[in-house]
Amino acid sequence: MKSHGARLEAWALMSPALALLGTISAVPMLYVVWLSLGQRAMFRPPGFAGLDHYLRIATDERFWNALGNTLYFAAFSVALELALGLGIALLLQRAGRARALVYGAVLVPWAIPSVVSARMWEWMYHPEIGVLSYLLGQPVNWLGEPRLALHAAIAMDVWKSTPFVALLLLAGLQAIPRDLARAAAVDGAGAWTVFRRITLPLLAPVILVAAVFRTIDALRVFDAIYVLTGGGPANSTETLSIYAYRVLFQMLDFGYGSALAVVMLAITGIAALAYARLLRAQTG
Amino acid sequence: MSARRHALRVLAGLAAAALGACHGRGSAPGRGALVFRHPKLFGDPQPLDRLIGAFERAHGVSVHRETLPASSDEQHLYYAIHLSAQTREFDLFALDTIWVAEFAEAGWLRDLTSLVAHTDERDLYEAPLASARWRGRRYALPWFLDAGLLFYRSDLLAAHGLAPPLTWNELRHAVRRVRANAPGLHGFVWQGKQYEGLVCNALEFLWSHGGDLGAATHAAAQGLGFMRELVAGRLSPPYVTTLTEEPSRVLFGRGRALFLRNWPYAWNLLAGAGSLVRGRVGVCALPGSAGHASAATLGGWHLGVNAFSRRPALAERLAAHLAGAPAQKALALAYGYSPPRRSLYADPELTAARPFLASLGSLLDAARPRPVSPNYVALSQVLQSEFSAVLCGLRSPETALAAIERARLALEVA
Repeated sequence: MKSHGARLEAWALMSPALALLGTISAVPMLYVVWLSLGQRAMFRPPGFAGLDHYLRIATDERFWNALGNTLYFAAFSVALELALGLGIALLLQRAGRARALVYGAVLVPWAIPSVVSARMWEWMYHPEIGVLSYLLGQPVNWLGEPRLALHAAIAMDVWKSTPFVALLLLAGLQAIPRDLARAAAVDGAGAWTVFRRITLPLLAPVILVAAVFRTIDALRVFDAIYVLTGGGPANSTETLSIYAYRVLFQMLDFGYGSALAVVMLAITGIAALAYARLLRAQTG
Repeated sequence: MSARRHALRVLAGLAAAALGACHGRGSAPGRGALVFRHPKLFGDPQPLDRLIGAFERAHGVSVHRETLPASSDEQHLYYAIHLSAQTREFDLFALDTIWVAEFAEAGWLRDLTSLVAHTDERDLYEAPLASARWRGRRYALPWFLDAGLLFYRSDLLAAHGLAPPLTWNELRHAVRRVRANAPGLHGFVWQGKQYEGLVCNALEFLWSHGGDLGAATHAAAQGLGFMRELVAGRLSPPYVTTLTEEPSRVLFGRGRALFLRNWPYAWNLLAGAGSLVRGRVGVCALPGSAGHASAATLGGWHLGVNAFSRRPALAERLAAHLAGAPAQKALALAYGYSPPRRSLYADPELTAARPFLASLGSLLDAARPRPVSPNYVALSQVLQSEFSAVLCGLRSPETALAAIERARLALEVA
């Protein structure tokens, strides 16, 4: 009897939070799913479309191109950010007195708004007056050459997001008891062995958390690339969110655009679930 | 509820008063005020305000003018969202020439056929009129127009004994001749980034080779092939695939290129005080090709009346006032905008004050509208990606034209 009352009280206490979550996330999400099942383009009679939009996605070349670009972007940028972030975190851990200063310097790219940093990189990538071509000693068409443009976008994202990963990992590193490393050293373990056998396994949950954040962000990347290249040349930097934006807000096809958004949500959801499983395996 | 609305109104009034303090005429629209939304003007808003002031006095009504964000995509989205919700927040608005068919088909624009008098019809250029027409009715009044032009370095051409090019072949020849002596100079710069501007440029290449959309002919393929050759043959720098209007204008303005394709606005910046190439710039029609006339894409702005306006008759009168010859002349004098009327290009006062503008008359008359269709914005998405793929050498002109043709039929663009 008592436990029943306690449970009721718990639900009552949670209800404001649940209601808030419901209104700001569940309801809009379900609404997008509902929109994706209907015909809601400008000059087509509105009606129920069932799974038509999803069937169209299956044969939409531009969708597959955008999906490929998005996955490529996410895979490379997240891998590089984790590797560089880990390196920087290990260095930062050893930073002595100047620690506060170094933290600040490392954080600068993360603090600049994406749109501003995209404009900055646009200038740095300029073939004639850009600093990168100057350093290379020859003009390179970074943003106008289909094979280079997506890599240029990846480099920009790595520059911007590595600090976030580094700081997160640094916090993780500081939570690892120093005694462990010292004990291992006493037993004759070298620095590499300590890193591989002690630091990395203990840091794994934090690495996974950083990877979850970065992967989800990378899968829905929009603003930075939209400003840098607008999806061009020849759709070589068009990601899923840029394509969905075009269909939704330029072509005003809310049915098909919503279907694209739902597919994006599903992909992000699958990635998040995969990470969640990994995380549970790590901690459990 | 009403208390909250009252509070909101007070807040809005305070905000408007604060804005008014810096802007002069930013008073909140009263109950009976007409609201006119338009893109930002390049210059002092006073001349437009004087025109509106005259209307206010003549009709005893106040007009509230509001500026929209500069990006054309954002304006399109803004109008689409508000008009599909049948907004009454604005009465008169400026629209890009490519939106008229879409907005008219959606029922968002008031039919203005009766506003265009017979005399007006003969005075206005055909291309802007055609782009303001849908299903035989007129839904907008041409306000001012734009057309692609060729800017050239008159000093460099003269030094090599060359005349401004009439054909693409002559342009090719001129680039090679001049660059033989100035290897660091770029030949021809234009707008090749994947966006609406690329569509305007590519259509000019296509039309000036005798091709057209809707006919995947040899001529159309040749036009796109020429566009690719510009980059492959180094007549244009490789990074023309990243250029929009301003970067290409700046490149030419810094003396780094022999030819530039741009809209008329570039003239004041290239020929005005402070320009590095001042006095060394000429302008002419874009080149044609053997047997085919030059072609320029039409751009510019129309005035339309919101179909849900509370005071449509007054809004119509304001549209007619702002798009009439006297107002267009005042705007041309003040901002250098090109009016869509033949008579104004012969106007002595305008010719004296803005000789460049007056010289554009026949060039602007030759402009051609992009496909007039309610589905143009969707078609343009396909055009942008196909043209960009051809320009980068990823797709042959024939394949791209076939893909465009499929999209055109699917979208029912005539």
